[in-house]
Amino acid sequence: MVSRRAVLAAWILGAACPGATAVAAQDYPTKPITLIVPWTAGGSTDITMRAMAEVAAKHLGQPIVIDNRAGGGGTVGPATMAATAKPDGYTLSQIPVTVFRLPLMQKTSWDAQKDFTYIIHLTGYTFGIIAKGDGPFKTFGDMIAFAKANPGKVTYGTPGAGTSLHIGMETIAARQGVKFTHVPFKGNAETNAAVLGGHTMVAADSSGWKPLVQAGQLRLLAVWTADRLKDFPDVPTLRDLGMPYVFDSPFGIAGPKGMDPKIVAKIHDAFKKALDDPGVQATLTKYDMVVNYKNSADYAKAIDENIAAERQIIEQLGLARASN
Amino acid sequence: MPEILASVGQGFGVALQPLNLLACFIGVFIGTLVGVLPGIGPISAMSLLLPVTLSGTPEAGIIMMAGIYYGSMYGGSTTSILVNIPGEAASVVTCLDGHQMARQGRAGPALGMAALSSFIAGTLAIIALMFVAPALSRVAIAFGPAEYFSLMVLGLTLLAFLTQGAILKSLIMATAGGVIGLIGLDSITAQPRLTFDRLELFDGIGLVPLVMGLFGVAEVLTNIERRLSRDVIAARIGSLLPTRDDWRASAAPIGRGTVLGFLLGILPGGGAVIASFAAYALERRFSRDPGRFGRGAIEGVAAPEAANNAAAGGAFIPLMTLGIPPNVVMALLLGAFVVHGLQPGPLMMTQNAGLFWGIVASMYVGNVMLLVLNLPLIGMWVQLLRLPYNLLFPLILLFSIVGVYASQNNVFDIYVMIGFGLFGYLCRKFGYEPAPMVLGFVLGPMLENNLRKALILSQGELSGFLTRPISAACLLLAAALLVSATLPTLRRKRDAIALEEGG
Repeated sequence: MVSRRAVLAAWILGAACPGATAVAAQDYPTKPITLIVPWTAGGSTDITMRAMAEVAAKHLGQPIVIDNRAGGGGTVGPATMAATAKPDGYTLSQIPVTVFRLPLMQKTSWDAQKDFTYIIHLTGYTFGIIAKGDGPFKTFGDMIAFAKANPGKVTYGTPGAGTSLHIGMETIAARQGVKFTHVPFKGNAETNAAVLGGHTMVAADSSGWKPLVQAGQLRLLAVWTADRLKDFPDVPTLRDLGMPYVFDSPFGIAGPKGMDPKIVAKIHDAFKKALDDPGVQATLTKYDMVVNYKNSADYAKAIDENIAAERQIIEQLGLARASN
Repeated sequence: MPEILASVGQGFGVALQPLNLLACFIGVFIGTLVGVLPGIGPISAMSLLLPVTLSGTPEAGIIMMAGIYYGSMYGGSTTSILVNIPGEAASVVTCLDGHQMARQGRAGPALGMAALSSFIAGTLAIIALMFVAPALSRVAIAFGPAEYFSLMVLGLTLLAFLTQGAILKSLIMATAGGVIGLIGLDSITAQPRLTFDRLELFDGIGLVPLVMGLFGVAEVLTNIERRLSRDVIAARIGSLLPTRDDWRASAAPIGRGTVLGFLLGILPGGGAVIASFAAYALERRFSRDPGRFGRGAIEGVAAPEAANNAAAGGAFIPLMTLGIPPNVVMALLLGAFVVHGLQPGPLMMTQNAGLFWGIVASMYVGNVMLLVLNLPLIGMWVQLLRLPYNLLFPLILLFSIVGVYASQNNVFDIYVMIGFGLFGYLCRKFGYEPAPMVLGFVLGPMLENNLRKALILSQGELSGFLTRPISAACLLLAAALLVSATLPTLRRKRDAIALEEGG
């Protein structure tokens, strides 16, 4: 029920939309919420999003329905939302890094800085650099020293061009003043095999290397998370190595642009509680995901910073779209 | 040896879990079903069921998919023998002598021999798979981009070599498939290619909608206009057990068929269809009385049925050890692994030992189930041959649409499937086989990706392909094949074992 005073207030303010939703915001949510997960069902991202949505739904008092809409490297779902959904808080989407990286590389239908209301930054993945267990690189420093002496001779595999792993390695190379040669593979079974078989000297990939590192067949030179890993306490982070980077391909949740801040706060609080839930934490650990929490304001700011940082490296790599 | 036994034990531990047993049974049951029914083969059935396997464990899903494949190899012979319509492509040759036997009142022994030779060859192939795969997967780590590239050149050459007559047509299809496979973000530079700024195309065309269109929808469209005559010989099947004379005539052909089928199964571009034709041709050459063939010779049933089942087993080797699918069915199975977040390759056997050996063990279990399904219960499948097609075909179409949508929740995929369905129908009308297109679709981008990776690693040096021994051997073999194909004497031999279908 919209009270007469609210209607009046809306008139006085002359902004019908926010006025009308002010009341709706208090009751929010009154119906199930759709959360777009732009990946196929059953993957690690989908499973962890479902775990968080389940807990958040309890705090919101309405079910959260997961809508798997894969495609475009995880951008089709958010792009569809930006183009068609109302900013009423009933349609949300998981936002992978491709949402702001892809527009730097090609023409897209959305503007990452304008078309979304960023709500909460949730988690990231565990990335690291691996070398062969019995190979010459014992530390990150060995690799850099070799690269300095032999420009371009250090070959590294990643799960694909334009991924966070590729951009991360190039950022590291630029910072260290060395040149690596990138060899894009498909997925971590291939990158691991390439290092084991001596086809590439190192690889940068998500935690699929874990069992092989534990077995001693691969050596973990550095991890890209904010803190050291529990399983490998001796392996330095990039920060330990004197570089101010955390690369974890983080993701969060956003809605269409123009959402009521009160609704944003409600969703934020529910998912923040989900992040602190022990069950969710256990699921995240199982898939080697690390909590990377940011509130709504910091999230939006981080997007701007990331775009600025990545634009530079993407232009260097020649991946940037032709200006038009 | 003891390690392998321990691994097999572990595998049976996985395969005999109730859920996996059920998955295995559903797989071989559906396999027999689609094998028996003409017009729907293992490829359409597997792509149809791929989305269903998403919700379960990877073990259950892949055990079921594999069951459909080797199960259909059994079922296909039933229709060939009784109706003279091949239930699926690998049973085309079984019609020749199988149906003659049925007309002579010996349908029972023909069906019995088909099932038993399938069982023997299927089991032998699994044993071979157990021993060859671990050895090969140790070698497989030595396969870098250069080796993969050369191996794929060899595979594609073999594919062209074994495809008869319409070489030009299959090359056109394979090339078109390769181009379609390149749609999406370039795997080396992440630049979009052939996407026309359509977001739907950034991830490329999906394998499932492509295959379901080309095989499922197109098959239904083709069958609608064909009047399937069905003079089911079901009056009296009689005793199913072959006589002592039958066994004497079939023992050696089963052995040869198994070895040949297994080897052809491993090779890229080979597979069950080629294996069954080649085994039949081989037996005719070996026979002291080739005139018997085509007039109800039991070895004409035993050899191809053994070969197609052995090939089904052998085909798992390149997929499980190198991550290269040698035929369309294995490409679909690769898709099934990938949706479960698993990448078949050299490391699968060590990193997912339970899964690998579980699948192998489930194939033993499945073969026993199939023997039961196909011998005592043969009457049930014969009844099924009376199912009206005006019921069956709409159902297949319905399931195809639901299945394609369910796999990605993407309406665009349905359009892709329908598009390729119409395209596949036209292809059939003009005598173009869809199988090379699917192989081109899968192998083309892998070939390109590995070539470019190899060149990045060698810093542009082409000599690497010839200085690395495995790579050089593959390329030399491919060159030798190409040269031999132009020599007239060898050409005649090739025609003897070659055939019209490629997958």
